Amino acid sequence: MRFDTLIIGGGLTGLVAGISLQKAGRSTAIVSTGQNTLHFFSGSFASLKEAPQPMAELFAEAGIGLHYSPGVRLMPMGTFREAELSLDDVSIFSTSPFARRVLVISFPGYHEFFHPFLVEGLEKQGIYCRVHMLDLPELSRLKPATGEMRSLQLARTLDTAWNKLVQEIRLVLKDEDTVILPQVFGLNDPSVPGRIRQGIPAQVVFVGTFPPSIPGIRTQILLKRRFEVLGGTYLMGDQVMEAHVHDGVVHSVVTRNLDNHYLEADHFVLASGSFFSKGLMSNPMRVYEPVFGLDVAAAEDRNDWYNPEFAADQPYMGFGVLTDSSLHPMVDGRPLKNLFAAGSVLGATRPELGTGAGLAVNSAFAVADAILQSDTSIR
Amino acid sequence: MNPREFDVIIIGGGITGAGMQRDCAMRGLKTLLIERSDIATGATGRNHGLLHSGARYAVNDPESAAECIKENRILRRIAAHCIDETDGLFITLPEDDLGYQRTFVEACQKAGIDAEVIDPDQARRLEPAVNPALIGAVRVPDGSVDPFRLCAANMLDAKLHGGQVRLHTEVTAILRKGDTVEGVQVRNRVTGEEEIFSAPVVVNACGIWGQHIAELAGVKVSMFPAKGSLLVFAHRVNNMVINRCRKPSNADILVPGDTVCVIGTTSTRIPFEECDDVAVTPDEVTLLITEGSLLAPSLSSTRILRAYAGVRPLVSADDDPSGRNISRGIVCLDHETRDGIKGFVTITGGKLMTYRLMAELATDLVCRKLGVDKACETAETPLPGSEERSYEQVAQKIWETPSTAQKAAASRLGTRASRISTGDSREQALICECEEVSAGEVVDAIERMDASTLTDLRRRTRIGMGTCQGAFCACRAASLLAGSPGGTARERADLANFLQERWKGNFPIGWGETLREAEYTQWVYKHVLGL
Repeated sequence: MRFDTLIIGGGLTGLVAGISLQKAGRSTAIVSTGQNTLHFFSGSFASLKEAPQPMAELFAEAGIGLHYSPGVRLMPMGTFREAELSLDDVSIFSTSPFARRVLVISFPGYHEFFHPFLVEGLEKQGIYCRVHMLDLPELSRLKPATGEMRSLQLARTLDTAWNKLVQEIRLVLKDEDTVILPQVFGLNDPSVPGRIRQGIPAQVVFVGTFPPSIPGIRTQILLKRRFEVLGGTYLMGDQVMEAHVHDGVVHSVVTRNLDNHYLEADHFVLASGSFFSKGLMSNPMRVYEPVFGLDVAAAEDRNDWYNPEFAADQPYMGFGVLTDSSLHPMVDGRPLKNLFAAGSVLGATRPELGTGAGLAVNSAFAVADAILQSDTSIR
Repeated sequence: MNPREFDVIIIGGGITGAGMQRDCAMRGLKTLLIERSDIATGATGRNHGLLHSGARYAVNDPESAAECIKENRILRRIAAHCIDETDGLFITLPEDDLGYQRTFVEACQKAGIDAEVIDPDQARRLEPAVNPALIGAVRVPDGSVDPFRLCAANMLDAKLHGGQVRLHTEVTAILRKGDTVEGVQVRNRVTGEEEIFSAPVVVNACGIWGQHIAELAGVKVSMFPAKGSLLVFAHRVNNMVINRCRKPSNADILVPGDTVCVIGTTSTRIPFEECDDVAVTPDEVTLLITEGSLLAPSLSSTRILRAYAGVRPLVSADDDPSGRNISRGIVCLDHETRDGIKGFVTITGGKLMTYRLMAELATDLVCRKLGVDKACETAETPLPGSEERSYEQVAQKIWETPSTAQKAAASRLGTRASRISTGDSREQALICECEEVSAGEVVDAIERMDASTLTDLRRRTRIGMGTCQGAFCACRAASLLAGSPGGTARERADLANFLQERWKGNFPIGWGETLREAEYTQWVYKHVLGL
């Protein structure tokens, strides 16, 4: 099988790069192991404020609403962080306290939403809180003992039962001006959070839960759908096992599921993530990039990988593959001419491109631009 | 009853203190146990969890060996739900002297330990994980014991017999009138509240920290702190305990326990001031992996879950020129005859294995002082939860068709598992997936077993001990703890402490899957949850 571009990694980076290329008429394939950091996306794009034009366009076309205004956002543990470019799910408050009285909703047997911490954080701001454990017949069908009372199952149930939830909240709402709900809405129907906001006669604030992140999974679903509508090939649940490289040019890769086929392309994008996604791996001796054996910026002495304080910035999180000015990664200091690296596999080696989800999007556009501008007949 | 007056006050919530309180309470004494941190925070919770057959000591310390096998048989009877009857192997590798095996077996037999020489082939069949290069093997009645569970069960039984327990409470002074100890002054380390309790006998059961408590009473007990480091592997690689058949050395015991296995230990003397904060060094990690792989080669490719270290409560011979106390392992000091201080007793030295015997000796002494004439019954009476031997039968009696989570609960709680079966399906929500701990079990530990922090919960339920090392369960359990009065602000700090404590044991072995898991945890708590 031959593509213009083959992308390794189906998370935010791979999808944004893939959509951009596919939109420009380049046949693109994405190989995705299935798990990526969108599954624990907070809903805010670190290091981004207003969306850059191409990003705003791409997300709008995928049906994903974004917004930004200066202010703060409320975190699941009841703390506040500076607002960044966010999904519509995330409320941004220009002033705080943002409410006088809040009704906090959770569900019996649901342990993924940390309302005691939320309440404590809000009460510190002088906001009066009341917690209500909301029960619906539809929810009692979920069995806590077998782990069904988790965000994903809850979200699936609430995608159809959300209107009953709205009615129940209308009944239990007293004098509160704001209702806080766990962010478990709109998994398959992106319109649900907006309809809940319209249906409840108070300010509605969705607050994140323990991962998996429902807005994150929805974002993944919508971006993947957009990529496929544009004609892209998304190989789900597959993994690149080896790459064939000659004279500094990547010719093809082999995947676990398609081990008889070489996947060939003019360009390759490494968007395989950091340690969690196995874009970077480690053993007692070193940190390495497993597919191409790329040069990695990492401390040599293992004692320098960590800060003994859990809460401190961890050096290992900054490790990433080394790239030249066009985001070509290198082997033994020599760039691979048709390979590009993007997203968190870069670690903190390219600070000008941002961090977290901001780095993912910025580097994905940078790589897509570089591919579109380069000579396709590189070989 | 004056709530501040007791017959005996026991300082130290390790296995010695907990066992001592149980024994005293069973003999009808009004007891108070004071622990500055949580149960089993010192050496009790920082060892292999090996149910010694005594074989390890048979050659060099026959007296300890005989004590071990006697207590080994007793613990199987009274602490069934804390014990895994795995049996053990002492293997001889090509680089070891096979001649030592004969000396070893003879010494075992002399101490009363069933030691059976078996064919290397049979050893390989019995324990497929063993180094196949072995040239000799001896089978002994070793096993594994969960020290947290054992300690908790002793404390629980003491409470059932009317004993009182104050955790997270520090002794700030031992109160004396002339040469007579009359009580203690304490400070609650959470609330800062100070209190005074009185009793005619105060027992120092603080292990290595006993040196400090003795100073408070005006007597000198010199401890020699020796650090031992261990590694926990993420799988139960072996089913039997595997030892090296040679003189005791570094990293020559591999113990299976619950879902994991533990290799250890090293031995390094450290300054007394460092006892509160011991850390595992990279060199020790390398040594443990290298030596451990000689016992079971698959260890070299098995994920390591964490590294931890403890301090052995070895007693210096300074004040005991005869050295007899040291050779026996157990040190029971009557400070009235030794130093002229009435009403003060120190019980130290010894081993996890011999805690019950230590408690019996010290309780005998306390009873003599108080003029109480009642025999010790701890060798016959099962601990709460241990009335039945098979946890699977226990689970079946309670639930008919128990889930794996319910079986896991029964294995941890024994017959007490019936307490968490409320019939409310929501109590069954899993808080910890790795170890299958339900909300009901967490609430039980908070309400009935004095757990007030996440680390306390870990010791009682195993939350945070599994492969995720707390990534998933810490915030869930924290929310349950936060529900207690005035709890949330404290719980926020507790959650941070818990994650820090987990990280401390993770970064020394931070590569491969461990680093991957750590990245997830650090990212989620910082950037997603906003802790």
